Amino acid sequence: MKKQLLILATGLGLGALMLSGCNPQTVSGKTAELVYVNWAEGVAYTHLAEAVLTEKMGYDVKLTAADVAPGYTAVAQGSHDAFMECWRELHQDYLDRYSDDLVSLGTIYEGTETGLAVPAYVTIDKISELEENADKFGGHITGIDAGAGVMKKTEDELIPAYGLKSIKLMASSGPAMTAALADAVKNKEWIVVTAWKPHWMFGRWDMKFLEQDDDQVIWGKGNIELIGRADLEEDKPELAQFLKNMYLTDAELSDLMVKVNDSDEDVSTVAKKWMQENEEVISDWIPQS
Amino acid sequence: MTIPKIPVGEMFESLINWFTDNLEMVFDSIGNTVTAILAGLKFLLLLPHPLLMIVLLTALAWWTAKRGVAIFTVLGMLLIYNMGYWTATMETLSLVLASVLIALFIGVPLGIWSAKSDVVERIVRPVLDFMQTLPAFVYLIPAVLFFKLGEVPGVIATLIFSLPPAVRLTSLGIRQVPSEIHEAAISFGSNPRQLLFKAELPVALPTIMAGVNQTIMLALSMVVISGMIGAGGLGNEVLKGITQLKIDIGFEAGISIVILAIFLDRVTQSLTHSDQ
Repeated sequence: MKKQLLILATGLGLGALMLSGCNPQTVSGKTAELVYVNWAEGVAYTHLAEAVLTEKMGYDVKLTAADVAPGYTAVAQGSHDAFMECWRELHQDYLDRYSDDLVSLGTIYEGTETGLAVPAYVTIDKISELEENADKFGGHITGIDAGAGVMKKTEDELIPAYGLKSIKLMASSGPAMTAALADAVKNKEWIVVTAWKPHWMFGRWDMKFLEQDDDQVIWGKGNIELIGRADLEEDKPELAQFLKNMYLTDAELSDLMVKVNDSDEDVSTVAKKWMQENEEVISDWIPQS
Repeated sequence: MTIPKIPVGEMFESLINWFTDNLEMVFDSIGNTVTAILAGLKFLLLLPHPLLMIVLLTALAWWTAKRGVAIFTVLGMLLIYNMGYWTATMETLSLVLASVLIALFIGVPLGIWSAKSDVVERIVRPVLDFMQTLPAFVYLIPAVLFFKLGEVPGVIATLIFSLPPAVRLTSLGIRQVPSEIHEAAISFGSNPRQLLFKAELPVALPTIMAGVNQTIMLALSMVVISGMIGAGGLGNEVLKGITQLKIDIGFEAGISIVILAIFLDRVTQSLTHSDQ
């Protein structure tokens, strides 16, 4: 009896499956397929872009969250329109690799910082003081994923330039690094991490970047860019123009990120509200045709 | 004396490049099939109101497993609904079901074949070992190159990772059919087809179902990894939790995966034991 029922259920299921599988998806004109990374700032402004594109410009927007490498690959292959989280100084490898298939859509945020950071209660201020205080940091810099841009730069440039011998760079992962940081802050222990800004760690804890020597500047300020597929401007000129126009100041992005972080509602709803409260910011983004 | 490095990685890379350049049509049609299966499953799972769906799943648990499992199902699923992960959970479930359906579609016939032929067995076994032990992350980039971002490469990566037990245990089950049954079936004049469907498969069914159960569990373990290539669902929620150290989101989504896993495990396990 059970067996017959099971067969019947499977049959019904497969039947319904075929019916629904056959319906072609109806696409209403303008579409945007954006890939973002699950990083706080990108999540915030990508959903803001979704809100503006859907509500103000009549687009059908599809957001996909992915890791950095798959994200670049998908956009370079042309299956998605734009990658929303390019840190040029850290992602140079991907940009070189796909240089023919990608095009920059300009900056969305200016003034990113990268480097080594410590909690504010740590009493040293300079990278050059690390070596003599190595013991207090347990002999290591807490890093993130092996292969990440910030890791390569620390390993290949910073460590030789500052002659760091007693302190080693330890690879872990973004979450592990922040977890170690959370733990150290709780116990007021010394810790030095590879860090970049904007990052929520600077909002949650009192942190400072270690200063560089004037003659050994490894880390410069940078920008976050949006990267489109090579033929985006021909295919979807309006979308390309919109993404080029998108720009947030530090104050605007911080405000948006804090609202996303503090709210219980989902990011799309928060972004929509932020859009309504900041018409003057987003009205500049919409291309005039 | 230095031996030049054998370009293992480079050879893999050129192979992948050759695939993407020459087999695009094949990948596209595979992708379209997977998309259709996924769309159908997601449509079915999200069609009824969550509460009705919870009743249906609980009924399924009660009917197949014990009352305890049914009680667990109703409480667990209500918790998922209450925490706000219902849609994500159903997306994940459809991803897992799609992978498992395809895995069985490929795995069971392959298992039967390799039970019948030692040559096939000898070829298939190392391939399965390779599929299962190569770190799952390594599949991600080829999956993206072949199938873009999203649920489709998620299903493919999950499929590769979860297929081996379906093949292995089908083969094992059929090879373990006692020779008396074999002889009896043949002496009553069974042809090979009757032998397979009337004697071997029914006897091997518990073992095959154990393979199904393992396939489902392996598929669930890929949920978070496939979130890295845009497969969405609960995997994405877990990743969001860990990349931003939002312990609450990570834990809630993680618990939802566990509830789903226990439900699927108990239901498929009881299918193994009952009805014999």
